[in-house]
Amino acid sequence: MISRRRFFGASAGGVIGALAAAACSTAPGGGGGGQAAGAKTLRVWDHFQPREDLHKKLFADFQKSSGTVVQYTVYNPNQQGQALQLAFGSKQLPDVFTTAGVKLPQPRLRKDGWIAPIELSKEDLSAMPADAFLNGFTHFDGKLYSLPMVNYRQYGTLTWYNVELAEKAGLDPDRDLATWDGFRAAAAKIKSAGGDGISGWIAPLQFAQRLGEHVSDLAMAAGGVGATDPRTGAFSYGTDPYVHAIDFLGALKKDGLIFPASSSLDARTARARWSTGVAGLFFDGPWNIGVIKDQFKAFVDKVGVASVPSSEAGRPVVLYAPPKAGDYCAAATSKEPELVAKLLKIFTTEEVMLAETEQMDGMPVDLALVNKANVHPTYKKAAELFGRQIRLRPAPEVRNPGVSEVVAEMKQVEPDLGGIVQGVLSGQLPDARKALSEYDRKLTAERARAIKAVAAKGVKVSESDWVFGNWTPGEDYGHDKYKTS
Amino acid sequence: MTVTVEGRADRRTDPAGRSPRRPQPPRQGRNRLWIWLFLTPTVVLYGVYTIYPVLASYWYSFVEWNGFDEAKHWVGLANYRAVLADPLFWNSFKITVLFMVAVVPVKVLFTLLLALVLNSPKLPMRTLFRTAFFLPVVTTTAIVGIVMQFVFDPASGPVNVVLRKLGLVADGINFLGDPKTALWTVVGVYIWKWFGVTLIYWLAALQTVPDEVYEAAAIDGAGPWGLLRHVTLPLLKPFAVIITLLTLESTLKVFDLMLTMTNGGPFYATEVVEIYIYRWAFAATVPELGFASAAAVIFGLFVGLIGVLQLLGIRAARKARGTA
Repeated sequence: MISRRRFFGASAGGVIGALAAAACSTAPGGGGGGQAAGAKTLRVWDHFQPREDLHKKLFADFQKSSGTVVQYTVYNPNQQGQALQLAFGSKQLPDVFTTAGVKLPQPRLRKDGWIAPIELSKEDLSAMPADAFLNGFTHFDGKLYSLPMVNYRQYGTLTWYNVELAEKAGLDPDRDLATWDGFRAAAAKIKSAGGDGISGWIAPLQFAQRLGEHVSDLAMAAGGVGATDPRTGAFSYGTDPYVHAIDFLGALKKDGLIFPASSSLDARTARARWSTGVAGLFFDGPWNIGVIKDQFKAFVDKVGVASVPSSEAGRPVVLYAPPKAGDYCAAATSKEPELVAKLLKIFTTEEVMLAETEQMDGMPVDLALVNKANVHPTYKKAAELFGRQIRLRPAPEVRNPGVSEVVAEMKQVEPDLGGIVQGVLSGQLPDARKALSEYDRKLTAERARAIKAVAAKGVKVSESDWVFGNWTPGEDYGHDKYKTS
Repeated sequence: MTVTVEGRADRRTDPAGRSPRRPQPPRQGRNRLWIWLFLTPTVVLYGVYTIYPVLASYWYSFVEWNGFDEAKHWVGLANYRAVLADPLFWNSFKITVLFMVAVVPVKVLFTLLLALVLNSPKLPMRTLFRTAFFLPVVTTTAIVGIVMQFVFDPASGPVNVVLRKLGLVADGINFLGDPKTALWTVVGVYIWKWFGVTLIYWLAALQTVPDEVYEAAAIDGAGPWGLLRHVTLPLLKPFAVIITLLTLESTLKVFDLMLTMTNGGPFYATEVVEIYIYRWAFAATVPELGFASAAAVIFGLFVGLIGVLQLLGIRAARKARGTA
C-alpha cells in the first residue's frame, strides 16, 4: 500500500522529470520523422510561399541523395524579420535563410556576423546570368554572400483586372487602363456595370509599406525618379509626381470606387477578397498569379494584367529599380558550410531555375526563362512589361560601401510614405504636399545625422555619395557607368 | 540603543532562558524542503518570464540597440528624451487615456445594473444568463478581434447588412476604417468582451450584503427603490472603489484586441501606447528596442501610478467597511 506522502513525492518527481524532458525537446520539429540516427540537419527559412511545394520536393530529393535532413519553414515576410531577430539573438539562426523583414543591408549583416560566404565557384554559377551578381550586393571582396533568386526588373503595381467584370463594363483593358484618367473611368464603369456590392478598385490600405510602394511606382509612371534624385542626391517625396500619385488615389476614394473594407485589408487579404469577384481592379506584383493559382484556383481564368497606369496619355512608363542583393544567405553560425553550398547549388541549375519560374513567384533572375516556362499568360505579359519598362538606377552602395553603414544607422522617420498615404486617404492629413515635404526634410536631417555618426567611426562618406552626375533619366545605369561617375 | 539590544535579547530567549534555535524536528525540515520544491517552478518561471523582462527593459531603455546588432551603445536618457519629444507617443498616450475614460464608466455602471437584475432570486434562468454574459470573457481575444473585422465589414458585415435593410444607411459604415468611428467601435467590442468580469465582481459584492439587513429594512417599510438606495448602494460603495480601479487598470491592456481589429489605424487613430511600443520594437523598418523600452518604462510608470491609486482605494474601502 503506497502512502499519500510517497504518492505525492513520486508524482512531483514524475512531473519534474517530464518537464525536464519536455525542456530538452523544444527544438522546432518538421521533417525529422523517420530520419536516421546521427544524420546531419540543415534548417532553411524563406518567404517564397508560391514555391513551397517545389522547395519541399527539392529538399526531399537532396535528403535522399545526401542523407542530410532539411527542416524547411516558409514564413510570412512580415513575421520572418522578427523570427530572424530572435534567432540571431539566441544564436539559433537557420543554416540558410532569406532576409525578408530584416531591413539592415547585407553589408551590415556580414559585418555583424549574420552571414558567411557561400562556397560556390564561378563554374557553379555559370548557368545564371552574369548581371545577377554585383559586388556590394551579392558579393563582397569577390566572395558570394547571397544567392539571387528574384530579378530586380519587377515592380509591385501591375494593374490586375477581373476579366469578367471588365468585359461586362465594355472595357478594352490595354487601352482603358493605360492612364490614371482611364483607370478612374474604368473603375467607375466596373462599379456601375457590376451592380450591387461590386467596387471598381480594391487596395491593401492597412499595409502601409505596400501602399507606399504603389505610390512610388505610380509617381515614377508620372515622371518621378524614385525616393532620391540621382542628379542631386536629394529626397524627392515632396515633388509633383508623388503628390499627383496620391491625388490620383484620393480621387478614386472620393468617387466612391474603392472597395469599402479596403482600410482593413493587407496585401494577402485584399487579394483573397479580390479573387471572390467583389472588385474589378487590384494593384499587385507578378507573384499575384502564382498565389491565385495556388490558393484560388477557380479564379485563375478570370485574371488579366496590364501595366502600371501612366499619369497621362502619351507618357511612356519608365520605372527605376536599384540593383538588388541576393536572396538566400548562409548563416555565419552554420556548422555545415559545405553542405549549405551543396544545398544552394541546386538552385543554380537551369532545370531548377525553370521549375522555379513555373511557380510564378517573383521574376526569375533570367527573364528569358519566362518564355520557355509553362506559365500563365499574365506572367509572360508581366515579364514583357518589366523588360520594356524598368531601368537600372544607380546605387550609392556600389560606389562607396560606406553608404550601407549610413543606411543601417538611419532611424525610421514616422509617418513614412505609406503612413502619409493612409493619412491622406482617411482624411486625417489634408495637405499631401506639406506632409511629403516634411517627410523629405526629416529624412534629410536623419541622413545627415547618420553620416556624422558613421563618419565618427572612421567611415568616409558624405551626401555627395548619393549624387550621380552622369545619370540620364530613362536609361539603364550599367556597371560601367560607375567608373565615370 | 541599550533598549533595542535588550529587546532583541528578549526575543532571542524564552522565559526559561533557553535559546529558541532548537534543532528542527526532521519532519518539519522535510516539509520545508517540499514547500521549496513546489515553489521552485513558480519562482523560476516568474523570475525568468516576469522579473527578468522588466529589469531588462529598464536596461534596454538606456541603450541604443536595434535587436540585430551584438553591440548596444549606452545613451543615457536620450531614449527618454526622444520618446517624450515624439508627438506620436503623446497621441498614443491620449488615445490610451481616452479609451480608459470611455470604457470605465460605461462598463462599471452597466455591469452594476445587470448584476442587480441577475442577483434577484425572482429572475428565472439567472444562472443561464450569468453564463451567457460571461461567455465572451473566455473566448480568445485575438479571435474575437478578427471575427469583429468581419462583423463590422462595411461591404458584407452583418451590422451593415442590417443597417442597410432597415434603411438607416445607404452605403455601409466603415466602422473600423474611419478615424471618427474606429476607436468607439473597439470601445464597444471591448466592453462586450470583458463585461462578464466586472459583472462577476459585482455579483460577488452583492453576496456580501446580509439578507437580515434587507429583511429589517423591508419590515421598516422600505420598497425596492428604498432598499436599493438606502441599503444596497451604500454597502456596495467600498466595492465600487475596488471594482472601478480594477477596471481602470484592465483597460490599459488592450493590445491584442486593438492590434487585430485596427492595427492602430487608420493613421494612428487607434494606436494605444502598447501598439506604439510594439511598432518600434518589432514592426519598424529597423527595430529600435532601446527607444521602445523607454516608452514601455514610461507607460509602466503610468500603470504603476494607477496601481498606487488602487492600493489607496483598497485601503480606503477597508476603512469604510471598518476592517482597517
